[in-house]
Amino acid sequence: MSAVAGEVPEAPGNVLVNSVVKNLTSFAARAWVKRWIITFTAPTGVGKTTAVDYAERTLPFDHQVIRCKQITTRYTILRAMGLAPGEKWTIHGRNWMRASDLYDLAVERVRARPYLLVIDEADRLRMDCFEILRDFWDDVRLPMLLIGNEVLTEKLNRQHERLFRRIRIRFEQRPLREADLRKVLEFMGYEMADEEFALLWKLVGGSPGFAEALLENANEIAASQGVKRGIEALEGAVRYFPTFRKVV
Amino acid sequence: MRNIVRLAIKAWPELRAELLRRGMFRPQEKADLLRCRAEHKEGVRQTPLGTVQFASLLARADAQFAARAVLRDMLTADELLWLDRLLRFQKRNEKRDELTRIVERAMEGRKGNVRSRR
Repeated sequence: MSAVAGEVPEAPGNVLVNSVVKNLTSFAARAWVKRWIITFTAPTGVGKTTAVDYAERTLPFDHQVIRCKQITTRYTILRAMGLAPGEKWTIHGRNWMRASDLYDLAVERVRARPYLLVIDEADRLRMDCFEILRDFWDDVRLPMLLIGNEVLTEKLNRQHERLFRRIRIRFEQRPLREADLRKVLEFMGYEMADEEFALLWKLVGGSPGFAEALLENANEIAASQGVKRGIEALEGAVRYFPTFRKVV
Repeated sequence: MRNIVRLAIKAWPELRAELLRRGMFRPQEKADLLRCRAEHKEGVRQTPLGTVQFASLLARADAQFAARAVLRDMLTADELLWLDRLLRFQKRNEKRDELTRIVERAMEGRKGNVRSRR
C-alpha cells in the first residue's frame, strides 16, 4: 500500500507533468472515488509507465501498482495482492490450492482496507489473470485502473466480455502534440536543433519513448565518431529502426 | 554448419562483429564464422558498439539469435534494460514474447528453461 492517510505525498521532480500524467492521475482518482474499473490505453512510448511511476508516488489514497511482465502469472498477481511486502508464503501444495488460499487472503485484505489497484501493461496479462480481476470486482468491488496499449481494449473486447461489461470508462490517450513532445524531450535533457526535432517528429510522432531510443542511438554514433550529435547521426540512427526508414 | 552460425551469418555485420568481440561463440562456431567472414572478405569493425546501439541491433535481430546472446551472458544490465524497452516497441508475436520472457528472467538474474505453456 503506497499512501498513508493524512500524509501529503511529495511530487517527484524528475517527471514532467504533461497531459498523459494529468489524465492518468485524474482517472486513478476517479476510479477510486467512484469504485469503478477504468481502462487507460495509449500507444507504446507515449509515457504511460512514467505516468504510473508518478501516480504511484503522488496519489493521496491507498493504492497498489502491479507492473506486468511477460512472466507475470495469476500466482504473481495474487501474491502481490495477498501478501505484505517481504512476507513469504510457506504453505506447500499444488498451485491451485495455493492460489485459492492466496485469493482469500487478498480478498480479506481488500475488505479490511480497500485500495485502488493499478495495473501497468495490462495488455500482457493472461486470460486467467483477467478472470481473477473480475472475481475481485464481483467479490469486493475492488476499483481498478488498467493501463496498456491498444491491444488491451481489443483483448478485453474479444476475450473477456464479462470483464469488459464491468468497465465504466475506456479512455484512449492520444500521442503528445509537437510542442509537448519538444517540452518532454528538453525536460529529459535532450537539446536539439530545429531540423533535428523536425526529423524526429516526422519519424516518431508524439512518442517520447521512441524519440529517446533514436536520440540515444544518435548520441552513441556521434560519440564513436568523436563529434557532437547532428542531423547526420540522427539519420544514421534510423537504420536501427527498419519501420522508420519507410518514413524518411 | 551449426544453427547459431547460420543465424549469425544472417545477422547485421556490426552485431556479428560485436558478439565475436565479446566472445559469444564457442571455438568451433567461431572458426566457422571466421571462415565465412574470410570468404565474404568482410572487414573488422574496430569501434565497439554503444549500449543502445547494441540493444537496438539485438532487438531487430532474429529472436532466436538474440535469445542465445542473452542466455550466453553477453549483455550488461543496462543493455538488458534497453533491449527490454525496445522489444516493447515491436509488434508482438510468439517468438518475440519468448525473447521478452528470456530478457525479463535475465534481468532478474535467472536463466535456463523459460518456455511458456503452449
